[in-house]
Amino acid sequence: MTTLELHDVVVAHGDRRLVDVPHLALEPGRPVTIVGESGSGKSLLAHALMGTLASSLVVDGKLALDETLLHLGDRSNRRALWGRRIAMLPQEPALALDPTMRVLSQVAEGALGASRTTARSHAGAALADVGLAASARSFPHTLSGGMAQRVAYAAATIGGARALIVDEPSKGLDSGSVDRLAGLLRDHVGDGGLLLTITHDLRLAAALGGEVAVMREATVVESGDAVDVLGSPQHDYTRRLVDADPSRWRQPWQRTGWYSPGEAIVRAIGISKAYGATSVFADVDLHIRPGERVALSGPSGVGKTTLGNALIGLTPVDAGRVVREPSLAGGRVQKLYQDPTLSFPALVPIEVGLRDVSRRHRASASRVDELMAAVRLSPSLLARRPGEVSGGELQRIAIVRALLAEPRLVFADEATSRLDLLTQAGTIDCLMTELGEAALLMVTHDRALATAVADTHVELE
Amino acid sequence: MSAALLPEVVRTHGVRRREPGRVLAALVLGALALFAVLGPLLLADPTSQDLGRYLEAPSPSEPLGTDEYGRSVLARLAHATRLSLVLGVLCVVTALVLGTASGILAASRGGWVDAVLRAVSEAFVAIPALLVVLLFSALAADGSLLTLYLGLALVQWVEYFRVVRAKAALILGGPAVEAASLLQLGRVHVLRRHLWPALRPLLLTLASLGMVTSILAMSTLGFVKVGLQPPRAELGLMVTEAFPFYDVAPWLALAPVTVLFLLTAGFLGLRHREVSP
Repeated sequence: MTTLELHDVVVAHGDRRLVDVPHLALEPGRPVTIVGESGSGKSLLAHALMGTLASSLVVDGKLALDETLLHLGDRSNRRALWGRRIAMLPQEPALALDPTMRVLSQVAEGALGASRTTARSHAGAALADVGLAASARSFPHTLSGGMAQRVAYAAATIGGARALIVDEPSKGLDSGSVDRLAGLLRDHVGDGGLLLTITHDLRLAAALGGEVAVMREATVVESGDAVDVLGSPQHDYTRRLVDADPSRWRQPWQRTGWYSPGEAIVRAIGISKAYGATSVFADVDLHIRPGERVALSGPSGVGKTTLGNALIGLTPVDAGRVVREPSLAGGRVQKLYQDPTLSFPALVPIEVGLRDVSRRHRASASRVDELMAAVRLSPSLLARRPGEVSGGELQRIAIVRALLAEPRLVFADEATSRLDLLTQAGTIDCLMTELGEAALLMVTHDRALATAVADTHVELE
Repeated sequence: MSAALLPEVVRTHGVRRREPGRVLAALVLGALALFAVLGPLLLADPTSQDLGRYLEAPSPSEPLGTDEYGRSVLARLAHATRLSLVLGVLCVVTALVLGTASGILAASRGGWVDAVLRAVSEAFVAIPALLVVLLFSALAADGSLLTLYLGLALVQWVEYFRVVRAKAALILGGPAVEAASLLQLGRVHVLRRHLWPALRPLLLTLASLGMVTSILAMSTLGFVKVGLQPPRAELGLMVTEAFPFYDVAPWLALAPVTVLFLLTAGFLGLRHREVSP
């Protein structure tokens, strides 16, 4: 029976404590999940355990793995354990995989000390276990996010490591893939493995069960049985975190039974789109009325974004037609992007770009300040470049930018899928409050979010 | 992830870090430019001969001595430096404007425009650069300045074209420009806010390398006597002319070589450090 315990873990940068966790124990059959928002230090804790922190950070603490006691300060003493005793499933597995290696050889590399043939047969079995036997000869770029995650899982566990650390596994995955991953991780625990999961996804935490620890500003504010912590949170912060789940939102802008008699501003009639021989969508009829909130949801790769782009005219359709009301011309359709950093000119301060928008749409001089106040951001952020502002802040600035053009339709393309739940709740709240009479077209893989926001919810298969 | 591991981002925007190497390079180039501008105005006529002062050693009145025709080496050097700098700037500006404009055009239009421009640029790459210049010089037997300029500029625009086209295609196809077009921001916005800030450091690097290439190419041609012809004062030509006297008047060859070295080192030292967002 393997056990893993952490004692007095402190990670500091200068005189700032980024992680301060006195004790954490992993036992077989009882997974531990650390939840918290971005910047709470939860990922740093995982990297401190693995010994993969940046050298600018000072680490202190002890790791007890069975009878072995290791000092976390010495980053190199865990190297020999990697893959054999402890393994880590990194964030963004699609980036962690070698793009030039086929899946099977990549997984086989992790079978330490085995001959080539044994390694490959082990790898084949591991891939079959995660349901990817058919993709053994594929290259990583042909895999979906969920598939890449499962390949990374196979590669991380093939070395026989019983202690598995998983960092933000659900980032960018649709709910089907998250369920599947949760199943894999539960199986690992069921086989007597240790599991430490770092996530901001409370649904994943609930699905994994075991123990949940809530981290905020470097420390654990509440921990206990998953059911207790998530079901009846004691700490105020945990309560806010739990309430940030879209299915629990109670916001003044939410509405049911909304109906507009108005003529549709966008009407798609029998539209189809294919890339080569692969059909993205076929024969879709859809319309958006003035002020209507329409959500397109479905698993990744189903063509939601392409459909959204086709509706607002960014992507031409192969068949059928999209009729847009003439009043939408002249910048009255705006888009919010999944990664707001890429949607701003990268090398100029944000305010410079916004000034051009204000001038083009004749927004009054104080309008930017008003909107910045409305989305609860300090105007001083605008002096920075896009890369120097956090994702949640920049997405709110993107909302400000879109509103400067006084849109009649806003297309939010997975606009909050990279944000943690609290930030997502704040961002969506800003968007919906400031949207006014404009219509909303939202593309998301999060069914709960779609239900919370939309009047009309279109689920794509 | 990297953001999580580096909790405090060092913000350097607005503050351009002054590197000592670049300051030194700028000082050297500034001094040479001053010499090139003021020298021809203040010093003696570089063509006036005084055979009585045949190969005079450096002295207070002639700091760099005189050549085999008794001409002032300092005055000739000032003229040669001016010529090199002016020709270098002309070639670089021409190549830069031509290459940048065609690069942006190819990236924004795509299709046949892109295909044609790419084919033309590849044709230029296929021929060694100095050969083109040699060809141009040979066509005009007297080795005039104009042919030298045309040859060098035509050889160099390809670099700008390829670099600009690659970068611009990436930017123009990205979400930021898509957002700008949804916001109805015109071409000027895309050019000023998206393209120019990203291209500027690349262009500055290419331009300083281009200055080096132009100056060296010009003096190389002068050195093998197919570029500008005597009695014009030109750095490469001055080195060749000084060859027969290297044992009795070493300062003759040393002076133009030193200026060439300083110009080359200066422009290389000036190269813009690339800035990424």
